[in-house]
Amino acid sequence: MKKTLFAVVAMAMILSLALAACGPTPTPQIIEKTVEVTKEVVVTKEVVVTKEVEVEKPVDRRVVIYNSYASDPAPRAADEALVKMFEEAHPDIEVQHSTVAHEDFKQAIRAYLTASTPPDVMTWFAGNRARFFIDKGLIMDISDVWEQEGWNEDYPAGFRALSTVNDKQYFLPTSWYWWAVYYRKDIFEQYNLQEPQTWEEFLQVCETLKANGITPLTIGTKYPWTAAAWFDYLNMRVNGPEFHINLMLGKEAYNDPRVLKVFTDYWAPLIENGYFIDDPAAYTWSEALQFMVDGSSAMYLMGDFLRDSYPADQVGKIDFFRFPVIDPAMPIGEDAPTDGFFIAAQSQHPEDAKTFLAFLGSVEAQQYNADVLGRLPTNLKVDTSKFTPVQQKGLELIKGADYVAQFYDRDTTPEMAERGMSAFSEFWANPAKIQAILEQLELERQEIFAEE
Amino acid sequence: MSTAKFFSSPWRTLGFFLLILITLIWLLPFLTALLTSVRTNDDILTQGFIAIPKEWTLQNFVTAWNRGGLHKYLPNSFIITIPALFATLLLSSLSAYALARFKFPGNRLLFFLYVGGTMLPFQVLLLPVFRLTDALGLYDTHLGLILFHTAFQLGFCTFLLRNYMRTVPGEILEAARIDGCGEFRIWAQIMMPLTLPALAALATLEFTWIFNDYLWAIVLLRTDALKPVTAGLATLQGQYVTDWTVIVAGALIATVPTVLLFIFLQRYFIEGLTLGATK
Repeated sequence: MKKTLFAVVAMAMILSLALAACGPTPTPQIIEKTVEVTKEVVVTKEVVVTKEVEVEKPVDRRVVIYNSYASDPAPRAADEALVKMFEEAHPDIEVQHSTVAHEDFKQAIRAYLTASTPPDVMTWFAGNRARFFIDKGLIMDISDVWEQEGWNEDYPAGFRALSTVNDKQYFLPTSWYWWAVYYRKDIFEQYNLQEPQTWEEFLQVCETLKANGITPLTIGTKYPWTAAAWFDYLNMRVNGPEFHINLMLGKEAYNDPRVLKVFTDYWAPLIENGYFIDDPAAYTWSEALQFMVDGSSAMYLMGDFLRDSYPADQVGKIDFFRFPVIDPAMPIGEDAPTDGFFIAAQSQHPEDAKTFLAFLGSVEAQQYNADVLGRLPTNLKVDTSKFTPVQQKGLELIKGADYVAQFYDRDTTPEMAERGMSAFSEFWANPAKIQAILEQLELERQEIFAEE
Repeated sequence: MSTAKFFSSPWRTLGFFLLILITLIWLLPFLTALLTSVRTNDDILTQGFIAIPKEWTLQNFVTAWNRGGLHKYLPNSFIITIPALFATLLLSSLSAYALARFKFPGNRLLFFLYVGGTMLPFQVLLLPVFRLTDALGLYDTHLGLILFHTAFQLGFCTFLLRNYMRTVPGEILEAARIDGCGEFRIWAQIMMPLTLPALAALATLEFTWIFNDYLWAIVLLRTDALKPVTAGLATLQGQYVTDWTVIVAGALIATVPTVLLFIFLQRYFIEGLTLGATK
C-alpha cells in the first residue's frame, strides 16, 4: 500500500518534470525552426554584403530593456515589427521586449520605476500621467535627443509642450487618436436622420431612434472610463475647455453650480429618457459594442480604436460625427489621448536606450505605425497624403478644435481620476443623488490637491 | 447494483436526475469556455457570448501556443512550481515534525506564528516583498519567485502537517529512539512514510496554488521570457481589444497539468481531506 503511494507520487512528479522538460510539442517546434532558418539566411546574406567580422558581433550584443503596454492584438504586432526593424538597423543592440497587459502595466509601472534595474524604455501616456513621474524624478531628461534628432522643429508645438517640464523634454509623444460619436450609417438612413450638429438636433435623433424601438446610445461602464468621456465632452461643451482643464488641475470645485448643471440639465435627462442601454455597468466597452453591431443600438461615444474591434466585414456601415455643440459661444474642445515613450531615470543602458528612443520617434517608425494601425502620427514629416478618408476626417476633426484635452483619467491626477470615475458610476445608478455625490467629490478633491 | 435495481425507487431516480442537472450547472462555465475557445472574435461580437458558432475553429489553440507564447510560458510555470513545491514540502515537514514531536519553550508561540502568518492578507506584503527582492538582487529572476512561494506556503503546510503528525502514535517513534535511531532518520524513514497521504493531498493543493499564482508573477517579474503561464496569458488582454478566444484556449491548455496531477493523486487527496474526521 505504502509502496504504491510512493510510486504514484513519484510518477506524478516525474510526469510533471517530463512535461516541463518537453516544453513545446513537435509541431510548433518545426514552425519555430523554420523561422530560425529564414533568420539565419537573412543574417548570412547581410554578412556577405558587409564584413565577415560581423558574425561574432551578435554574441556580445548590448541590451536595451523595453516594456510595453501595447497588449491589444494589432498594436502588439506592430510593436514587435518595430523592434525587429530597429534590431536589423542596429545589429549590435538587442531589445529585450516584454509586453504587459495594459491595465497591469499601469499598476506595475511604479514597481518598474523604483526597481534598481528598471526597464530602459517604456510606453506611457503623455500629459499629466507622465508629469506625475517626472516630478518624482523617475523619468530621464531627453532634451539632448530632442535637440539631436531635430524634433524641436519636426513636432508641433502642442506636442512639444506636452513633453516639456521646466524647459526640458522628458517625453516622446508618438501617436494619438480622436474621440467622436460613432453611428450606424444604415440605421440613420433608414429613419432619414442627419449627423446632428447641435444638442437639439442630437436629442431629436435620440427621440426618433427610441420611437422606432432602437436604443439611441450604447455604453459599457464596467470599467468606468467610458462614462468619463461623457463628462469630458458635456463639461467642455457646456462650460468650455478652459473651465474643464482647470477643474482637471484641481483649480475649480466639483460642487460648483456649473458642474452640477452638466449633470442635472444634460446628462441625467439622457439616462432618465432611456436613451442609454439598460444596465451599462454589466458590460465592458467592447461587450457593449455588440448592441451596435446587432443594430439594437445606433450610437457610441468612443475613441477611434472602436473601428479596430468592429467586425471587419461590417466596419463600412459606421461613421462618426463631432460631439454636438451645446453652447455656440464656447470654444470647441476635443479629447485626443496621446501615447508615447520615455526613458527611466535609473536606466542601466542610457546611451542605447536613447538610440532606441530616437528610432521610435523617427519618421520611419511613425510612418509604419500610421500605415499599419491607422494611428495619427506626431512627427510632421510623416506623409499623410495616403491616409484613408476616415483618417483624414479624424485629422480634420482635431484640426478644427480650439483646445485638445487628453482624457479625464489622463488630465487629472490618478487618485482624482479614480474617485471621479467612481462618482460617475454612482451618479449613473442614482441620478437624483448628484448633489450629494458632487459634495463628496469636492471634499476628496480638496484632500487630494492639498497634498501637493 | 444492477441498473434496474438502482432506478427501483422513484425518489432515487429523481435524485439521480437532480444530480445530473446540478453537475451540468456546475460545468456550465467550463462548457462556455470550451465553446468560446472554438469560435472567432468576430463571431462572438456578431452573435453574442453564448451561441452556436457559425464556424468552428481549432486555430485558437494553435495561436495560443505559438503567438500567445504558451510554449515558453508553460515551461516557466513548471520551473517555478516544482522547486517551490519540493522546497515547501521538505521544509514544512521538517518544521512540522519538530513542532509536533518536541517539547521546547516557545513551541506554541512558533506554531501560532506560522498559523498567524497564513492569516495575514498577502496584499499587505506587496511592497516589502518587492523591496526585499529588489535589494537582494532577485527581482526579475525565477529564484526570487520560488523563494517567495516557498516562504509564503510554509505556514499553511506546517500547520496542516503538524496537526497530522500529532495523530501518529508516539510509541512508534519511541521504539525507534530506543533502538538508537537518530532524529533525522526517524523523520525520514518513519514519519515521512506515515505522513504520505497528507503530503500527497498537500502536494495537489500547493501545486494548484503555486501554478495558478498571478499576482506575484507580475510583481516580481518584468521580463516576458521569464513569465509563467498565468501572467503570460494575461498579456493578451489589451487596453481596448482583448483576444478572448485565444486567452480562453490558452487557459484550457494551462489547466491540463493541474487536472492530470489531480487525476493521479485524487484518491490520496480525498483521503487526506477526510483524515482525522472519524477519529
